[in-house]
Amino acid sequence: MNINRKQVISAMSQIEVQGNKDGLIPSFNVFVNMMPASFWTSFAERLTRRVPADMLDAAEFLLVNAAHECGYHTGYGIITSNEWKAVVEPMVKKTPEDILHGAFAVFTAWGWAKSEIVELDPGKKMVVRAYDYYEADVVEYGASAKKSAYMIRGVAAAFMDLAYGGTYDPTGKTGLRTFKCEQTKGIECGDEYGEFVVTKA
Amino acid sequence: MTQYKKTELVLNKVFDAKLSRHLIEGSTVVLHCHHYATLYTQLAIDCALLDAKSLLAECSEEVWEGFLSNYYKTNGIASLADRITIGEQVYAAAGLGKMCVICAGTDSGEVVLEHSHVDEGWIKKWGKSDKPVNLIGAGFIAALFAAVFGKPQRSFSVIEVQSIVSGAACSRFSVVAR
Repeated sequence: MNINRKQVISAMSQIEVQGNKDGLIPSFNVFVNMMPASFWTSFAERLTRRVPADMLDAAEFLLVNAAHECGYHTGYGIITSNEWKAVVEPMVKKTPEDILHGAFAVFTAWGWAKSEIVELDPGKKMVVRAYDYYEADVVEYGASAKKSAYMIRGVAAAFMDLAYGGTYDPTGKTGLRTFKCEQTKGIECGDEYGEFVVTKA
Repeated sequence: MTQYKKTELVLNKVFDAKLSRHLIEGSTVVLHCHHYATLYTQLAIDCALLDAKSLLAECSEEVWEGFLSNYYKTNGIASLADRITIGEQVYAAAGLGKMCVICAGTDSGEVVLEHSHVDEGWIKKWGKSDKPVNLIGAGFIAALFAAVFGKPQRSFSVIEVQSIVSGAACSRFSVVAR
Protein backbone atom coordinates (compact mmCIF):
# COMPACT_ATOMS: atom_id res chain seq x y z
CA MET A 1 0.00 0.00 0.00
CA ASN A 2 1.54 3.26 -1.12
CA ILE A 3 -1.04 5.66 0.23
CA ASN A 4 -0.01 7.99 3.04
CA ARG A 5 -3.32 7.90 4.91
CA LYS A 6 -2.37 10.58 7.39
CA GLN A 7 -1.49 12.98 4.60
CA VAL A 8 -4.65 12.22 2.62
CA ILE A 9 -6.90 12.58 5.65
CA SER A 10 -5.26 15.83 6.66
CA ALA A 11 -5.63 17.35 3.19
CA MET A 12 -9.05 15.99 2.23
CA SER A 13 -10.67 16.81 5.57
CA GLN A 14 -10.03 20.49 4.90
CA ILE A 15 -11.98 20.61 1.65
CA GLU A 16 -14.82 23.09 1.96
CA VAL A 17 -18.03 22.33 0.13
CA GLN A 18 -20.17 25.41 -0.18
CA GLY A 19 -23.61 26.04 -1.56
CA ASN A 20 -23.87 28.15 -4.73
CA LYS A 21 -26.28 31.07 -5.22
CA ASP A 22 -29.08 28.52 -5.74
CA GLY A 23 -28.43 26.84 -2.40
CA LEU A 24 -27.17 23.73 -4.16
CA ILE A 25 -23.76 22.04 -3.96
CA PRO A 26 -22.98 20.57 -7.36
CA SER A 27 -19.73 18.71 -6.77
CA PHE A 28 -18.09 15.38 -7.64
CA ASN A 29 -20.68 14.75 -10.42
CA VAL A 30 -23.57 14.85 -7.94
CA PHE A 31 -25.60 17.29 -5.87
CA VAL A 32 -24.05 17.14 -2.40
CA ASN A 33 -25.95 17.77 0.83
CA MET A 34 -24.58 18.36 4.30
CA MET A 35 -26.99 17.26 7.00
CA PRO A 36 -26.68 16.38 10.67
CA ALA A 37 -25.78 12.69 10.75
CA SER A 38 -28.55 11.97 13.21
CA PHE A 39 -31.13 12.69 10.50
CA TRP A 40 -30.01 9.66 8.50
CA THR A 41 -29.55 7.38 11.50
CA SER A 42 -32.88 8.35 13.10
CA PHE A 43 -34.79 7.40 9.99
CA ALA A 44 -32.88 4.16 9.40
CA GLU A 45 -33.08 3.05 13.02
CA ARG A 46 -36.75 3.84 13.53
CA LEU A 47 -37.70 2.24 10.23
CA THR A 48 -35.81 -0.98 10.90
CA ARG A 49 -37.16 -1.19 14.44
CA ARG A 50 -40.75 -0.68 13.29
CA VAL A 51 -40.98 -3.00 10.29
CA PRO A 52 -42.50 -6.44 10.83
CA ALA A 53 -39.82 -9.12 11.21
CA ASP A 54 -40.53 -10.58 7.78
CA MET A 55 -39.82 -7.21 6.16
CA LEU A 56 -36.61 -6.35 7.99
CA ASP A 57 -34.31 -7.82 5.33
CA ALA A 58 -36.05 -5.82 2.60
CA ALA A 59 -35.85 -2.57 4.58
CA GLU A 60 -32.17 -3.14 5.35
CA PHE A 61 -31.46 -3.98 1.71
CA LEU A 62 -32.99 -0.68 0.60
CA LEU A 63 -31.03 1.33 3.18
CA VAL A 64 -27.80 -0.37 2.09
CA ASN A 65 -28.73 0.14 -1.54
CA ALA A 66 -29.14 3.90 -1.02
CA ALA A 67 -25.54 4.03 0.18
CA HIS A 68 -24.41 1.60 -2.51
CA GLU A 69 -25.64 3.89 -5.28
CA CYS A 70 -24.40 6.97 -3.44
CA GLY A 71 -20.96 5.40 -2.96
CA TYR A 72 -20.77 4.28 -6.58
CA HIS A 73 -21.60 7.61 -8.15
CA THR A 74 -20.05 9.94 -5.58
CA GLY A 75 -17.06 7.61 -5.24
CA TYR A 76 -16.44 7.87 -8.96
CA GLY A 77 -16.80 11.64 -8.71
CA ILE A 78 -14.22 11.70 -5.92
CA ILE A 79 -11.58 9.57 -7.66
CA THR A 80 -11.85 11.67 -10.82
CA SER A 81 -11.89 15.03 -9.03
CA ASN A 82 -9.20 17.68 -9.11
CA GLU A 83 -8.77 17.31 -5.35
CA TRP A 84 -8.06 13.59 -5.76
CA LYS A 85 -5.66 14.27 -8.62
CA ALA A 86 -3.76 16.78 -6.49
CA VAL A 87 -3.61 14.83 -3.24
CA VAL A 88 -4.03 11.09 -3.78
CA GLU A 89 -3.14 10.32 -7.38
CA PRO A 90 0.59 11.08 -6.98
CA MET A 91 0.73 8.31 -4.34
CA VAL A 92 -0.99 5.71 -6.51
CA LYS A 93 1.54 3.18 -7.77
CA LYS A 94 -0.58 0.05 -8.00
CA THR A 95 -4.09 0.19 -9.43
CA PRO A 96 -6.76 -0.37 -8.44
CA GLU A 97 -5.55 -1.43 -4.97
CA ASP A 98 -3.96 1.91 -4.05
CA ILE A 99 -7.07 3.69 -5.31
CA LEU A 100 -9.15 1.60 -2.91
CA HIS A 101 -6.88 2.42 0.01
CA GLY A 102 -6.99 6.08 -0.98
CA ALA A 103 -10.78 5.97 -1.21
CA PHE A 104 -11.03 4.74 2.38
CA ALA A 105 -8.69 7.50 3.51
CA VAL A 106 -11.08 9.98 1.87
CA PHE A 107 -14.01 8.10 3.43
CA THR A 108 -12.35 8.80 6.77
CA ALA A 109 -11.51 12.42 5.94
CA TRP A 110 -15.11 13.18 5.04
CA GLY A 111 -16.39 11.90 8.35
CA TRP A 112 -18.28 8.87 7.09
CA ALA A 113 -16.24 6.43 9.18
CA LYS A 114 -12.75 6.24 10.63
CA SER A 115 -11.95 3.21 8.56
CA GLU A 116 -9.26 1.29 6.74
CA ILE A 117 -8.83 -1.84 4.67
CA VAL A 118 -7.30 -4.62 6.75
CA GLU A 119 -7.46 -7.39 4.14
CA LEU A 120 -7.66 -7.26 0.37
CA ASP A 121 -7.79 -10.19 -2.01
CA PRO A 122 -7.84 -8.32 -5.33
CA GLY A 123 -11.06 -8.76 -7.24
CA LYS A 124 -12.47 -11.16 -4.68
CA LYS A 125 -12.67 -9.97 -1.10
CA MET A 126 -12.05 -6.94 1.08
CA VAL A 127 -12.30 -6.58 4.85
CA VAL A 128 -12.73 -3.09 6.28
CA ARG A 129 -12.58 -2.03 9.90
CA ALA A 130 -14.19 1.13 11.21
CA TYR A 131 -12.99 2.40 14.59
CA ASP A 132 -15.54 5.18 14.84
CA TYR A 133 -18.62 5.80 12.72
CA TYR A 134 -21.71 7.91 13.17
CA GLU A 135 -24.09 5.02 12.52
CA ALA A 136 -22.95 3.49 15.83
CA ASP A 137 -24.38 6.52 17.67
CA VAL A 138 -27.84 4.92 17.63
CA VAL A 139 -26.81 2.97 20.72
CA GLU A 140 -25.80 5.16 23.66
CA TYR A 141 -26.07 2.49 26.34
CA GLY A 142 -25.57 -1.24 26.18
CA ALA A 143 -25.22 -3.32 23.04
CA SER A 144 -27.67 -3.90 20.23
CA ALA A 145 -28.36 -7.27 18.66
CA LYS A 146 -29.01 -5.51 15.36
CA LYS A 147 -26.13 -4.11 13.29
CA SER A 148 -26.85 -0.62 12.04
CA ALA A 149 -24.03 0.45 9.71
CA TYR A 150 -26.07 0.37 6.50
CA MET A 151 -24.21 3.28 4.97
CA ILE A 152 -20.76 1.72 5.42
CA ARG A 153 -22.00 -1.59 3.99
CA GLY A 154 -23.29 0.11 0.86
CA VAL A 155 -20.32 2.35 0.27
CA ALA A 156 -17.75 -0.42 0.89
CA ALA A 157 -19.44 -2.62 -1.71
CA ALA A 158 -19.62 0.34 -4.10
CA PHE A 159 -15.90 0.98 -3.80
CA MET A 160 -15.21 -2.64 -4.78
CA ASP A 161 -17.61 -2.19 -7.74
CA LEU A 162 -15.56 0.79 -8.85
CA ALA A 163 -12.28 -1.09 -8.40
CA TYR A 164 -13.18 -4.44 -9.94
CA GLY A 165 -16.68 -4.19 -11.45
CA GLY A 166 -15.68 -2.87 -14.85
CA THR A 167 -15.97 0.54 -16.44
CA TYR A 168 -17.99 3.09 -14.49
CA ASP A 169 -21.55 3.24 -15.76
CA PRO A 170 -23.35 6.52 -14.98
CA THR A 171 -26.71 4.80 -15.43
CA GLY A 172 -25.77 2.20 -12.81
CA LYS A 173 -27.09 -0.58 -15.03
CA THR A 174 -23.72 -2.32 -15.22
CA GLY A 175 -20.84 -2.16 -12.78
CA LEU A 176 -23.07 -1.48 -9.80
CA ARG A 177 -23.91 -4.31 -7.35
CA THR A 178 -21.18 -6.67 -8.57
CA PHE A 179 -20.14 -6.88 -4.89
CA LYS A 180 -22.06 -7.17 -1.64
CA CYS A 181 -21.08 -6.38 1.92
CA GLU A 182 -21.87 -8.02 5.22
CA GLN A 183 -21.32 -6.34 8.56
CA THR A 184 -19.73 -8.89 10.90
CA LYS A 185 -18.99 -6.66 13.91
CA GLY A 186 -20.35 -3.37 15.20
CA ILE A 187 -19.49 -0.80 17.83
CA GLU A 188 -23.26 -0.49 18.35
CA CYS A 189 -23.24 -4.21 19.16
CA GLY A 190 -20.56 -3.91 21.81
CA ASP A 191 -17.57 -4.74 19.60
CA GLU A 192 -14.40 -2.67 19.65
CA TYR A 193 -14.81 -1.78 16.00
CA GLY A 194 -17.12 -2.35 13.08
CA GLU A 195 -16.03 -4.95 10.56
CA PHE A 196 -17.27 -5.25 7.01
CA VAL A 197 -16.63 -8.11 4.62
CA VAL A 198 -17.10 -7.41 0.91
CA THR A 199 -17.34 -10.31 -1.53
CA LYS A 200 -18.57 -10.95 -5.06
CA ALA A 201 -22.33 -10.65 -5.39
CA MET B 1 -34.51 56.01 6.08
CA THR B 2 -34.35 52.83 8.14
CA GLN B 3 -31.98 50.25 6.76
CA TYR B 4 -32.35 46.58 7.60
CA LYS B 5 -29.02 44.81 7.94
CA LYS B 6 -29.26 41.21 6.89
CA THR B 7 -28.01 38.83 9.55
CA GLU B 8 -25.27 36.62 8.20
CA LEU B 9 -25.02 32.97 9.09
CA VAL B 10 -21.65 32.10 10.62
CA LEU B 11 -21.17 28.39 11.21
CA ASN B 12 -18.63 27.05 13.65
CA LYS B 13 -17.02 24.18 11.71
CA VAL B 14 -14.53 21.79 13.27
CA PHE B 15 -12.86 18.58 12.10
CA ASP B 16 -12.25 16.25 15.04
CA ALA B 17 -9.14 14.45 13.80
CA LYS B 18 -9.21 11.91 16.61
CA LEU B 19 -12.66 10.61 15.70
CA SER B 20 -12.54 11.74 12.06
CA ARG B 21 -15.82 13.59 12.38
CA HIS B 22 -16.96 16.92 11.05
CA LEU B 23 -18.87 19.04 13.54
CA ILE B 24 -20.94 22.12 12.83
CA GLU B 25 -22.23 23.98 15.86
CA GLY B 26 -21.35 20.87 17.86
CA SER B 27 -23.42 18.46 15.73
CA THR B 28 -21.86 15.66 13.71
CA VAL B 29 -22.59 16.38 10.05
CA VAL B 30 -21.96 14.29 6.97
CA LEU B 31 -21.84 14.87 3.27
CA HIS B 32 -24.11 12.73 1.16
CA CYS B 33 -25.42 13.06 -2.37
CA HIS B 34 -28.73 13.32 -4.19
CA HIS B 35 -28.68 9.57 -4.85
CA TYR B 36 -28.74 8.96 -1.10
CA ALA B 37 -31.39 11.61 -0.39
CA THR B 38 -33.70 10.50 -3.19
CA LEU B 39 -33.36 6.79 -2.41
CA TYR B 40 -34.21 7.43 1.26
CA THR B 41 -37.17 9.46 0.04
CA GLN B 42 -38.25 6.70 -2.35
CA LEU B 43 -37.99 4.19 0.49
CA ALA B 44 -40.15 6.41 2.69
CA ILE B 45 -42.76 6.77 -0.07
CA ASP B 46 -42.82 3.03 -0.77
CA CYS B 47 -43.13 2.06 2.90
CA ALA B 48 -46.72 3.24 3.27
CA LEU B 49 -47.41 0.47 5.77
CA LEU B 50 -45.41 2.37 8.40
CA ASP B 51 -46.29 5.86 7.17
CA ALA B 52 -42.59 6.32 6.51
CA LYS B 53 -43.25 9.58 4.64
CA SER B 54 -44.24 11.13 7.96
CA LEU B 55 -41.32 9.42 9.64
CA LEU B 56 -38.79 10.94 7.23
CA ALA B 57 -40.31 14.41 7.56
CA GLU B 58 -40.38 14.07 11.36
CA CYS B 59 -36.72 13.04 11.49
CA SER B 60 -35.87 16.10 9.40
CA GLU B 61 -37.99 18.33 11.64
CA GLU B 62 -36.36 17.01 14.80
CA VAL B 63 -32.74 17.49 13.75
CA TRP B 64 -33.30 20.89 12.18
CA GLU B 65 -35.44 22.25 15.01
CA GLY B 66 -32.68 21.31 17.42
CA PHE B 67 -30.03 22.83 15.17
CA LEU B 68 -31.87 26.10 14.56
CA SER B 69 -33.03 26.60 18.15
CA ASN B 70 -29.49 26.00 19.36
CA TYR B 71 -28.10 28.45 16.82
CA TYR B 72 -30.62 31.16 17.77
CA LYS B 73 -29.87 30.70 21.47
CA THR B 74 -26.09 30.55 21.12
CA ASN B 75 -25.92 33.57 18.84
CA GLY B 76 -28.66 35.66 20.43
CA ILE B 77 -30.85 35.70 17.31
CA ALA B 78 -34.11 37.06 18.66
CA SER B 79 -36.13 38.88 16.00
CA LEU B 80 -38.46 36.99 13.68
CA ALA B 81 -36.84 38.49 10.59
CA ASP B 82 -33.36 37.49 11.71
CA ARG B 83 -34.47 33.99 12.67
CA ILE B 84 -36.11 33.50 9.29
CA THR B 85 -33.16 34.78 7.31
CA ILE B 86 -30.81 32.53 9.27
CA GLY B 87 -33.12 29.57 8.58
CA GLU B 88 -33.07 30.31 4.86
CA GLN B 89 -29.28 30.50 4.95
CA VAL B 90 -28.96 27.24 6.88
CA TYR B 91 -31.12 25.53 4.24
CA ALA B 92 -28.80 26.80 1.51
CA ALA B 93 -25.62 26.01 3.45
CA ALA B 94 -26.81 22.41 3.76
CA GLY B 95 -27.15 22.29 -0.02
CA LEU B 96 -30.88 21.73 0.28
CA GLY B 97 -31.89 24.62 -1.98
CA LYS B 98 -32.94 28.24 -2.11
CA MET B 99 -35.73 28.95 0.33
CA CYS B 100 -37.82 32.08 0.68
CA VAL B 101 -40.33 32.45 3.51
CA ILE B 102 -43.14 34.51 1.97
CA CYS B 103 -45.06 34.99 5.21
CA ALA B 104 -45.07 33.48 8.67
CA GLY B 105 -47.26 33.64 11.74
CA THR B 106 -48.12 31.40 14.66
CA ASP B 107 -51.18 30.15 12.76
CA SER B 108 -49.94 29.83 9.21
CA GLY B 109 -47.35 30.64 6.61
CA GLU B 110 -46.16 30.22 3.05
CA VAL B 111 -42.75 29.12 1.85
CA VAL B 112 -41.31 28.95 -1.64
CA LEU B 113 -38.28 27.02 -2.89
CA GLU B 114 -36.70 28.44 -6.00
CA HIS B 115 -34.30 25.51 -6.04
CA SER B 116 -34.54 22.17 -4.29
CA HIS B 117 -31.86 19.50 -3.76
CA VAL B 118 -34.40 16.70 -3.47
CA ASP B 119 -36.54 17.76 -6.44
CA GLU B 120 -33.65 18.52 -8.76
CA GLY B 121 -31.79 15.41 -7.62
CA TRP B 122 -34.92 13.33 -8.22
CA ILE B 123 -35.31 14.73 -11.73
CA LYS B 124 -31.62 14.09 -12.42
CA LYS B 125 -31.95 10.50 -11.24
CA TRP B 126 -35.42 9.45 -12.39
CA GLY B 127 -37.13 12.32 -14.17
CA LYS B 128 -40.29 14.14 -13.12
CA SER B 129 -42.80 12.91 -10.56
CA ASP B 130 -46.49 13.78 -10.44
CA LYS B 131 -46.40 13.66 -6.63
CA PRO B 132 -44.36 15.80 -4.19
CA VAL B 133 -41.13 14.21 -2.98
CA ASN B 134 -39.52 16.85 -0.78
CA LEU B 135 -40.27 15.33 2.61
CA ILE B 136 -36.90 16.50 3.94
CA GLY B 137 -37.80 20.07 2.97
CA ALA B 138 -41.25 19.83 4.53
CA GLY B 139 -39.64 18.66 7.77
CA PHE B 140 -37.17 21.54 7.65
CA ILE B 141 -39.99 24.07 7.22
CA ALA B 142 -41.91 22.62 10.18
CA ALA B 143 -38.69 22.89 12.19
CA LEU B 144 -38.08 26.45 11.07
CA PHE B 145 -41.55 27.62 12.10
CA ALA B 146 -41.29 25.85 15.45
CA ALA B 147 -37.83 27.32 16.12
CA VAL B 148 -38.73 30.81 14.93
CA PHE B 149 -41.80 31.03 17.17
CA GLY B 150 -40.33 29.05 20.08
CA LYS B 151 -42.93 26.30 19.74
CA PRO B 152 -42.42 22.57 20.33
CA GLN B 153 -41.85 20.17 17.46
CA ARG B 154 -45.01 19.01 15.64
CA SER B 155 -46.63 22.42 16.19
CA PHE B 156 -47.03 22.95 12.44
CA SER B 157 -48.16 20.79 9.57
CA VAL B 158 -46.58 21.48 6.20
CA ILE B 159 -48.21 20.63 2.88
CA GLU B 160 -46.37 20.85 -0.42
CA VAL B 161 -48.89 22.35 -2.83
CA GLN B 162 -46.66 22.88 -5.87
CA SER B 163 -43.46 21.07 -6.82
CA ILE B 164 -40.38 21.59 -8.95
CA VAL B 165 -40.28 17.81 -9.41
CA SER B 166 -43.67 18.00 -11.16
CA GLY B 167 -42.52 20.70 -13.55
CA ALA B 168 -43.40 23.87 -11.62
CA ALA B 169 -40.95 26.77 -11.66
CA CYS B 170 -40.77 26.68 -7.88
CA SER B 171 -41.98 24.54 -5.01
CA ARG B 172 -44.58 26.02 -2.69
CA PHE B 173 -45.47 24.93 0.83
CA SER B 174 -48.47 25.83 2.96
CA VAL B 175 -47.88 25.87 6.71
CA VAL B 176 -50.73 25.54 9.24
CA ALA B 177 -50.68 25.33 13.03
CA ARG B 178 -51.83 21.93 14.29
